[in-house]
Amino acid sequence: MTPSPLPTVFLLDDEPGMLKALTRLLTAEGFIVRGFPSATTFLESYRAEERSCLVLDVAMPELNGLDLQHRLTHAGILLPIVFLTGHGDIPMSVQAIKAGAVDFLTKPVNDADLLRAVRAALRRAAEQHERASETAKLRERLASLTPREREVMDHVVAGQLNKQIAGDLGTGEHTVKVHRARVMEKMGVESLADLVRAAERLGLGKRL
Amino acid sequence: MSWVTIIWSMTASACLTLAAVNLLVWCKKRTEWANLLFSLTAVGTAGMGFCELWMMRADTPGQFGTALRWLHVPVWALLVALVGFVRLYLRAGRPWLAWSFVGLRTLSLLLDFLVGQNLNYREITRLRHIPFFGESVSVAEGVANPCMLVGQLSLVLLVLFVADATVTVWRRGDRRQALAVGGSISFFTLAGTVQAVLVLWEMVHWPMTASFFYLGIVATMAYEMSREALRAAQLSDDLRESEERMTLASEAAGFGVWMWSIARNQLWGSERWLRLFGFAPDATVTFEDAMQRIHPEDREGVERAVRRAVADRSDYAAEYRVVLPDNTQRWVAVRGRVYPDTQGRPVRMMGATTDITASKQAEDKAQRQHEELAHLSRVATVSELSGSLAHELNQPLAIILTNAQAAQRLLAQQPPDLAEAQEILADIVSEDQRAGEVIRRLRSLLKHGETSLQPLTVNGIVEEVLQLSRNSLIGHGITVHRTLAPNVPQVQGDHIQLQQVLLNLILNACDAMSANPPAGRQLTVTTAHRDGAVRISVSDTGCGLPRVAERIFEPFYTTKKQGLGLGLSICRSIVTAHKGRLWAENSAAGGAVFHLELPTGEK
Repeated sequence: MTPSPLPTVFLLDDEPGMLKALTRLLTAEGFIVRGFPSATTFLESYRAEERSCLVLDVAMPELNGLDLQHRLTHAGILLPIVFLTGHGDIPMSVQAIKAGAVDFLTKPVNDADLLRAVRAALRRAAEQHERASETAKLRERLASLTPREREVMDHVVAGQLNKQIAGDLGTGEHTVKVHRARVMEKMGVESLADLVRAAERLGLGKRL
Repeated sequence: MSWVTIIWSMTASACLTLAAVNLLVWCKKRTEWANLLFSLTAVGTAGMGFCELWMMRADTPGQFGTALRWLHVPVWALLVALVGFVRLYLRAGRPWLAWSFVGLRTLSLLLDFLVGQNLNYREITRLRHIPFFGESVSVAEGVANPCMLVGQLSLVLLVLFVADATVTVWRRGDRRQALAVGGSISFFTLAGTVQAVLVLWEMVHWPMTASFFYLGIVATMAYEMSREALRAAQLSDDLRESEERMTLASEAAGFGVWMWSIARNQLWGSERWLRLFGFAPDATVTFEDAMQRIHPEDREGVERAVRRAVADRSDYAAEYRVVLPDNTQRWVAVRGRVYPDTQGRPVRMMGATTDITASKQAEDKAQRQHEELAHLSRVATVSELSGSLAHELNQPLAIILTNAQAAQRLLAQQPPDLAEAQEILADIVSEDQRAGEVIRRLRSLLKHGETSLQPLTVNGIVEEVLQLSRNSLIGHGITVHRTLAPNVPQVQGDHIQLQQVLLNLILNACDAMSANPPAGRQLTVTTAHRDGAVRISVSDTGCGLPRVAERIFEPFYTTKKQGLGLGLSICRSIVTAHKGRLWAENSAAGGAVFHLELPTGEK
């Protein structure tokens, strides 16, 4: 996978003048800007992109900013959000940040503040992307294990000794050793600690 | 000169003097027929005296006869006039008696000239000379004329007529007049008749002195007439006094009274009226003079109203401004009435004018208060809208800032994007104008006004607001019912704001009923006091509330074509600030009821 050359900023504001001004500012800064006048139009045309973030006006008719954030989280879309608001109050910003917003800015917003927030959001997007691709790799490796190897791995991750595993699985200790070595090799880890971390990342472990 | 000459001449001249005076009175005032008749009586008496003197001084029977014949002419005039006087002055006496007497007396006069030497003698044979007042006077002897009986019968009728009239007056209750006029006329007539009978039938030898008796009648009549004159003078005094009383009353009431004689175009005005119009107290004023004092803008309307009143013989009422010679201005109210003559032609217009400058000023003040209320409503609107207005203002500012910063970046690029920068500047200009517009609207809405809490009487506020909205209510043809509880305790509140709330409720009710037929436009304002709260209820007979009644208190909710939908929401915020409640419900009779409840602070 090759990273796209320029990061994309999705922009959502019901005020056309504001949408236009923000588009100009972010474009001048070298971002690809895709603006939408409402949450509905945004949801209709949204396609996940590697490095992208959302600059979102809180006060909008129909679906407001916080509702949209909620909706995206539920749909599993990890899009870092920078909120803009005409008259921000503290409870609202706390709620937004708790739900994962990168920043909560009050209009009129200074360009430096906005750009800092957008860059932070994009960084977070990149990190999320990286973590996601690592997880995908691990998942591939996990899939390459044989059912027996998978069983052995679960027991290893659970912290059992070879002897205990052999006893549980009804095989010899040597066989367990061989399977364990193959698991370490296939999962691309060198230590037990790495294997445990990989299992955690994949949401495995502690199932016994 | 002998005594006889002196006495008879004096009698005649006294009578003539009285006659002349009363003739003059009659000439001045032709309706005073009594004066003319009295004048005739007096002239007759004088003529009678003259003829008697002629008789006493006659040298031959022929001269005596002629004098006696002519004597009957003034006697006729005197007696006929006397009968007329009794009828007119005493308003009594039977007409048939009067006419019978006049007929007989006229017959006597005809016989006097047609039969014998005169009415009394067929022929006078000789004269006798007898001493009288120390002088020798002539008395006649001869053959009596039987026609004399006609004349004497007429005298009997006269006495009957006067006696009958006297009784009528007596019975009417006017005893003094009955005695003085009726009694004396009866007495002297009777006495004169008796003397004539005695002398002419030669029962006594005595000259004819009947004029003396008639002088008595003339004197009585003169006395009565002068009493009448005295009474007229008294009446005129009374009249002046009553006029003064009226002036005092009109002064006290602040009225200037006036009378316009339409035909003569003379305008009489009381002192106060003259002062109201800035005329000198002794000025002679015409209709046009008064018109000139009226404010040029009002003049035409007033003149039209007056002309219409005159044309319709109707009443006239107007309010207008008067400009005094020193250019000060005052408001007056006038009411007048046109008085037609017996033929229905308008002859006079009378009326009263009063200075209403003070009440006009109060009206202006009430108007200003109304405006203040409207301003307050706007202030409240602004505070209600402050959040929304801040947003309105913030939005363009944010857009301007972002655009400007974008432009800075575009211009810093190599090469700078001038085309885009140009567009940005255009957007900045239009957004700035938008912000300016918001500020301009805000400024026009804002108006200073301070809330001040004071103890208020709820019933008083109700009355004030009904007064303030009187014009609207009348204009809408609405009947107002008040059910105000007595002894309602006071509440703490801002006078103007509570007025505004009530005004709003009342004006809403007006609007709600505008589609009703006029008879169905009933507004009821009720006050009540219960459980430490005072409640004012305003109910109408309009179309009622929308399904979700509570919505009417939301900002911008309106059922009217023109209306911000702020009135009730402002009202509710005012009432809430007073720790009170404002709510609405549909009434059982149809229409809506708004309740406003305020705490009295007592438990």
